[in-house]
Amino acid sequence: MNTRIISNTKVFSWKHFFLQWEWMLVGLLVIIFMMNSSISPYFLNYTGISDATMTFLDKAFIVFPMVMIMIMREIDISVGSTVALSSVVMASLYNAGVPMIAAMGACLLVGALCGFFNGYLLVKYRTLSAVIVTLSTMILYRGIAYMILEDQSAGGFPTWFSFLGWGYVGPVPFILILFIIFAIGAVLLLQKTTFGRRVYAIGSNPVASRYSGIKVDRMKLIVFTLAGLMAAITAIFLTSRMGSTRPNVANMYELDVIAMVALGGISTAGGKGKMLGAILAVFVIGYLQYGLGLINIPAQVLLIVIGVLLIASVTVTNLRGKGKFQKKKSRKSVQKAS
Amino acid sequence: MSEYVLELEGITKEFPGVKALDNVHFKLKSGEIHALMGENGAGKSTFIKVITGVHSATSGEIYLNGEQVVFHNPKDAHKMGIAAIYQHVTNYPDLNITENIFLGHEKINKWTRRIKWKEMHAEAKALLESLGSDLDPKTEMGSLSVAKQQIVEIAKALSSNAKIIIMDEPTAALTHRESEELYKITEALRDEGVAIIFISHRFEDMYRLADCVTVLRDSQYIGTWDVDQISNEDLIVAMVGREIKQLFPEKSNELKEEVLRLEGLGQMGRFKDISLSLRKGEILGITGLVGAGRSELCQALFGIEPYDEGKVYFEGKKREIKTPADAIHLGIGYLPEDRQEQSLILQWEISQNISLSALDKISKNGWLHLQKERQLAKELAEKVDVKTKSIFNPASSLSGGNQQKVSVAKLLTTDLKVLIFDEPTKGVDIGAKSAIYQIIVDLAASGYGIIMISSEMPEVIGLSDRIAVMCEGRITKFFDKGQATQEAILEAAMSKKVTKSKVG
Amino acid sequence: MTEKNLLKHINLANISKFREFGLLGFIVLLAIVFQILNPAFLTFGNLADLTKNTAILSILALGMMLVLITRGIDLSIGATLALSGMIAALTVREFPGLSPLLAILIGIVVGVICGVVLGFLVSKVGILPIIASLGLMNAYRGLTYWISGREWVSAYQMPASFKDIATSSILGINTLVFIAIMIFLFFYYFVNNTITGRQIYALGSNPDSAKISGINSHKVYMLVYTMMGGLSGLAGVLWVSKFASAQGNTASGYELTVIAACILGGVSINGGIGKVTGVLLGAVLLGVLDNGLPLIDVSPFWQMGIEGAIILIAVLFNTIVKQTVEKSHRLRRVI
Repeated sequence: MNTRIISNTKVFSWKHFFLQWEWMLVGLLVIIFMMNSSISPYFLNYTGISDATMTFLDKAFIVFPMVMIMIMREIDISVGSTVALSSVVMASLYNAGVPMIAAMGACLLVGALCGFFNGYLLVKYRTLSAVIVTLSTMILYRGIAYMILEDQSAGGFPTWFSFLGWGYVGPVPFILILFIIFAIGAVLLLQKTTFGRRVYAIGSNPVASRYSGIKVDRMKLIVFTLAGLMAAITAIFLTSRMGSTRPNVANMYELDVIAMVALGGISTAGGKGKMLGAILAVFVIGYLQYGLGLINIPAQVLLIVIGVLLIASVTVTNLRGKGKFQKKKSRKSVQKAS
Repeated sequence: MSEYVLELEGITKEFPGVKALDNVHFKLKSGEIHALMGENGAGKSTFIKVITGVHSATSGEIYLNGEQVVFHNPKDAHKMGIAAIYQHVTNYPDLNITENIFLGHEKINKWTRRIKWKEMHAEAKALLESLGSDLDPKTEMGSLSVAKQQIVEIAKALSSNAKIIIMDEPTAALTHRESEELYKITEALRDEGVAIIFISHRFEDMYRLADCVTVLRDSQYIGTWDVDQISNEDLIVAMVGREIKQLFPEKSNELKEEVLRLEGLGQMGRFKDISLSLRKGEILGITGLVGAGRSELCQALFGIEPYDEGKVYFEGKKREIKTPADAIHLGIGYLPEDRQEQSLILQWEISQNISLSALDKISKNGWLHLQKERQLAKELAEKVDVKTKSIFNPASSLSGGNQQKVSVAKLLTTDLKVLIFDEPTKGVDIGAKSAIYQIIVDLAASGYGIIMISSEMPEVIGLSDRIAVMCEGRITKFFDKGQATQEAILEAAMSKKVTKSKVG
Repeated sequence: MTEKNLLKHINLANISKFREFGLLGFIVLLAIVFQILNPAFLTFGNLADLTKNTAILSILALGMMLVLITRGIDLSIGATLALSGMIAALTVREFPGLSPLLAILIGIVVGVICGVVLGFLVSKVGILPIIASLGLMNAYRGLTYWISGREWVSAYQMPASFKDIATSSILGINTLVFIAIMIFLFFYYFVNNTITGRQIYALGSNPDSAKISGINSHKVYMLVYTMMGGLSGLAGVLWVSKFASAQGNTASGYELTVIAACILGGVSINGGIGKVTGVLLGAVLLGVLDNGLPLIDVSPFWQMGIEGAIILIAVLFNTIVKQTVEKSHRLRRVI
């Protein structure tokens, strides 16, 4: 009795394709490269650029889970402290005679536990917001790191350990290879799997997601645990590059990470944005910092740049969201009238 | 000077594409309780919003004490002495009673701008006492029961010297005794010369309180009668206005074996002692007044807020349902009452909405298979006849009825055996309604066991094989098809006595 | 378990009182423990030191309370404090003859500007407070380093009149403490006895209803963030005067301590709830811990961990109590 035929072939639209936020980031990246290389002849030097890449890639691993967390309308500001705690645990264990591999395993475990604890509190006490939970654990985790090492530093790692942070595989930095592998995995996970679809569903409408049989609590636990785990990976690379660690490492990493995610086009209202955008944003911010460093702009100005960049990109994402919504509304009313 | 404090002449209100009010008249005397009745979606709420200045009418005039007035916003109406008490109380839970009463017109010292707490507390106390309440005005609003909050809302209306008070379903969430107290207060106000517009679904409320009644139906004015001059039957005809049978498709399928049985299901403070059974191919209607615990029961059955006593048997086996995922896995689907909030992701494509609860079906080892998704979405969207050109249109582009069809299509993606429909035609226009009825009957015929919650009695009577009526958290009566009349259902919906023999 | 059963019978209104007495009791208990372990705790000198340290914290915590009541948060206050302290310090270095009152005024103005920017971003642009203040935290911190050229302003570069702000006294009370008391009294009056003060609570309690009641939410948001900024500016000058040095990393991370004081004092991060007396007690508790722990030979490096654990426990305690109370409300309904 139903005669209506509904189309299920997607029409490809060039306009839609080019209107994506990611192109803006690609454009930004090109502009930064052009400006940097015109200002400083040293910028395009291969060793320089690959060294620079190593320095900003460590924290970029946290970007992957943070994208998911922010798409799910949550936030995690304890990641910097998690980096510090897992790094300190690893170094202390090694100094206490534990084999390096085991110490690294403990580092990953501690990171994952930190993340899991955040997720657990959020799920167990639904009225708590992620802001307050991760704010509390941010103090707690770093506090524990201080309890362990006090004002000491720990280091003296085996030489092979420094390979992780400094090593090259052929002409390519090891960390870059690993980052690319993770990035491909993260893009596929978020964009092509049921897991990713559920993340977007929860961020777009948590209630409807629950009513549709999505295990929202379990998803939250998973992404927060992932955030902790990635913070531990960051800790390994950071420690490897520095050769030693202190309780105050990775201070304010959460800000850098959140800035990268926001610049990547992930809306703080949840449900919107792509993994690729955030990955591009990692390089935009990284090379911007590197370029500014090359022309002797003091590191402290970089703080201002990141802060302003964060606010500007959130503002733009907010405005974009509003525009789209209005369009849809008017379409709705037209449909109703007809 | 007119004898009416409030007169509305030929009020029409149009929203894009919809006429929410069509040439409505209304007259209100001082010292009168005037009931406003009509089915869901008849236009009562819009009408109230025109009177309180939330909406401005497209055409028509409003007269206050014989003089024409125009309200640009709620504040204008408020200044003229019109106050409304809404069904969902709009208050400040963290502030105390006095503040809630005086918010917006606090008493302050002229020179120091200091809030005069003592005076305000005293006046609040006096107001509450005049309403027969001994509440301490320093108590926090959030710690009060809904009934007490409503008394505070009335005090708030009085504190601004309201001459016209509108009560929108004030008894919906109240118990009988609480309602009785509210009636007394309302009558006392009437005797002091306040004019009251009382909106309620409960006939009981109307007979108990009102002097006259105005009925709206399908956005139109039907008529005004003195309460003692109109019989129950006539009133129902006025409200429903159509032969019930015509709208509903014939349901003639055979009922098969039992699929779901509940024994003594209960949840603290929400419902208790619920026992019922459901057969394949059967439509079990659950009705009752708002707040009777119908939705809560079904949400518990779907694992939203788990039940804490009693047993659930599914296909003969005892099962536990703790989360919606459990329920879906078992084969129970739920069509929520608020589709925009609880079912759909409006900004998403229709196809993605349809596949949301069946992601495992359109994927392999966790990888999404888009082709499969599109095929599934197309099939189901065509099956329920969604009026759209492409499954890639956002759900927000659809009308209410078609959004509801998408919600139904969502349920058909998984292998379910029991479907729970919570107010399936709420906010849906007449045309789409019968389409949804047809879908429900077809689903029953194809072997689903269906539980349908509805406040619309014709719907329940017209579709159900059996009807369970709930009142204050318990099932008070079961009706078989053909036995049920609106009057009998209403009586059961308001009765306190549980027919033990039937509940078993 | 017995405690839980007991809580069922306490309603929301009683709990805030219960909490304040509990907090006070805890402070007294803590003081007794410290005193037993180290008799130097309850000496005049130490207590004077304690109150001076708590003064700045409580000034900031009162401002933060208003922000939290509107369901916001301000992470930029540490940076705002540093920036205004630095600007005031640089000014007195250049003009040693400047009146200390003027120096304080400069600090407040700088803080107000910082707060206005944040208020604008939150109320007009609609950025989440946590994101906006996180961004500004960086920007203000960077600005502090930039204008100071990464140099410190040290004690010898400051005129005595400026350093005297922290050491002088008014009516026999140390100036810092005096200012904190004045601000406390002002806040007490403001939030309890003015319409604007109550509007802050109303907005946080139910933002949707606030619109219907005709509360201008933009104005209220602007006001609370501006006040927070102004107080941070004031605290900046007091801080620099007290420690006699202005650095780029002054008060880095201090925002967390301030938020902690509020949470301990019973301010709800979900808005609508918070009392000035509670916040003051929260600040005092942290002040006592800060002061007492070193006295009983707890390593200074343990303080952050202890503080973190206490905050987490306070947060969880708040939530559990609230959930229990809500559940008991539901249980009361008999069917």
